[in-house]
Amino acid sequence: MKTWEKIRQNPSLLKKYFVRETVIKSIRSFFDSRKFHEVETPLLVARPPAESYVEVFETTLLDRYRNKTRAFLSTSPEIFLKKLLVAGIGNCYSITKSFRNTETQSTLHVPEFTILEWYRVGDPYEKIMDECEKLIRYIHHDVLGDRTFMYQGKRIDIQSSWERMSVREAFSLFAKVDLDAFFDMGYARRIMKKKKYKETDDTTWEEMFHQIFLNEVEPHIGREKPTILYEYPSLIAALSKKKASDPRYAERFEFYIAGLELGDCYSELTDPVEQKKRFDSEIFEIKRLGKTHYEYDSDFIHALEVGLPSCSGIAVGVDRLVMLFSDAADISDTLFFPAKEEFERFPHD
Amino acid sequence: MSAITTADFKKGMFVEFKNETHQIVDFQHVNPGKGSAFVRTKLKSLKSGRVQEFTYKAGDAVIEIPVETHEMQYLYKEGDGFVFMDNQSYEQYTLAAAMIGDFASYMKPNDTYQVLVHNEDAVGIRFPKKVRLLVSEADDGARGNTATSATKTVKLETGLVVSVPLFIRQGDLIAVDPQTGSYLERS
Repeated sequence: MKTWEKIRQNPSLLKKYFVRETVIKSIRSFFDSRKFHEVETPLLVARPPAESYVEVFETTLLDRYRNKTRAFLSTSPEIFLKKLLVAGIGNCYSITKSFRNTETQSTLHVPEFTILEWYRVGDPYEKIMDECEKLIRYIHHDVLGDRTFMYQGKRIDIQSSWERMSVREAFSLFAKVDLDAFFDMGYARRIMKKKKYKETDDTTWEEMFHQIFLNEVEPHIGREKPTILYEYPSLIAALSKKKASDPRYAERFEFYIAGLELGDCYSELTDPVEQKKRFDSEIFEIKRLGKTHYEYDSDFIHALEVGLPSCSGIAVGVDRLVMLFSDAADISDTLFFPAKEEFERFPHD
Repeated sequence: MSAITTADFKKGMFVEFKNETHQIVDFQHVNPGKGSAFVRTKLKSLKSGRVQEFTYKAGDAVIEIPVETHEMQYLYKEGDGFVFMDNQSYEQYTLAAAMIGDFASYMKPNDTYQVLVHNEDAVGIRFPKKVRLLVSEADDGARGNTATSATKTVKLETGLVVSVPLFIRQGDLIAVDPQTGSYLERS
């Protein structure tokens, strides 16, 4: 049975789906009260940000004479928002659709999703940590009022201050791994062997890091109370600024509530030379992995040359926020028309 | 035994994990914030019935443990096990309750099921797409739980309670999906 049929049979289901409406209204009201501008960014783009971990949806733009130009569905509003910061728009945000191919067969990912991104000019990422806590409490008030916040049978306390832990601390505490030493490829491989993970000469550092992170660290994060996990290895923080006192780490944080990873924040990289270097290595990686290949957006590098003000920005998964506040175990249960329902009628070629 | 990758994963499949046979109870793909694809898997140990989580890199090689499917008649429940008889060899097998899980509430003595056998041991059951069961108790006059909902709950011959459309009556034979517990059709 499709979702619209289930709702027709049991209209009380609607209440759960209406949580999305309240969450989005609440986000707008929160940023409106803080004098942020809401801006629109394109969904149809000529150059997505070069990110090797993302697979794109490619399409073709035709002119009146049917001459073809490659086009893509936007994977994130990030580079457009940063261009607007260069233009001088000031603090701003966008709630928009983003598209990532191959992200199916999951209760946490859908190929078409709603993303909230906001940027603060002149502020370090710690400021966004505080703002995150305030935003979630604000939404909580609008959606649940005085009712207890429960997710999948567990009580969630978002009122007391959140836990803040560095990735380095988390690795040491939960996986008994010294992340500083783990940066050394040889050492990392020895740890993987000792822990009996499969590892070959092709295994990248990122894969080893995430293998331990996903198996031994993440299951402990943000369970009792929300957790902000900060200072990620620079190797997995493509558009963020490196930490001045230790460039092996970047000023990036993620926050988790009830075990759900909800947002990813950076002190933004403003250096065009460094950005170009990282884009080049991402494009190299995209080719190596055999993913859809494209050139990076040189206009973005140009914008950085003109001068991106020092700023911090965050991307938050709106669908996951809706999951959390509507107590849905599966991201598809927050959508009237989830992709899996839409496409399961047409099994793959 | 054959080498497969995470792309071949199916629920119910048996694989080698930490040198022991495990059944894949559930799996899903995950992508960390800035990272490649992984497959979060729930694996149930054949030995202990204990379920644990492991996250594979997408594309990792895994050893699949082959299992045979034997048609067997369900005889009776004994302690923590369910006793079956092989329809061909007449040999009896006991299947641990942990390996049957919720499906036990769909099983009727004397009915035939597809039992999975590995190394002479019964290790699981292949769930049929639908199970037909008689409605043993139904409020035939029910007008639904709310003014707008067109469903009511009925009890089936195995004791299972399911939600069905209002026209279903006591004595009807209905088909239920054992994976989701939802009503499919009246036979």
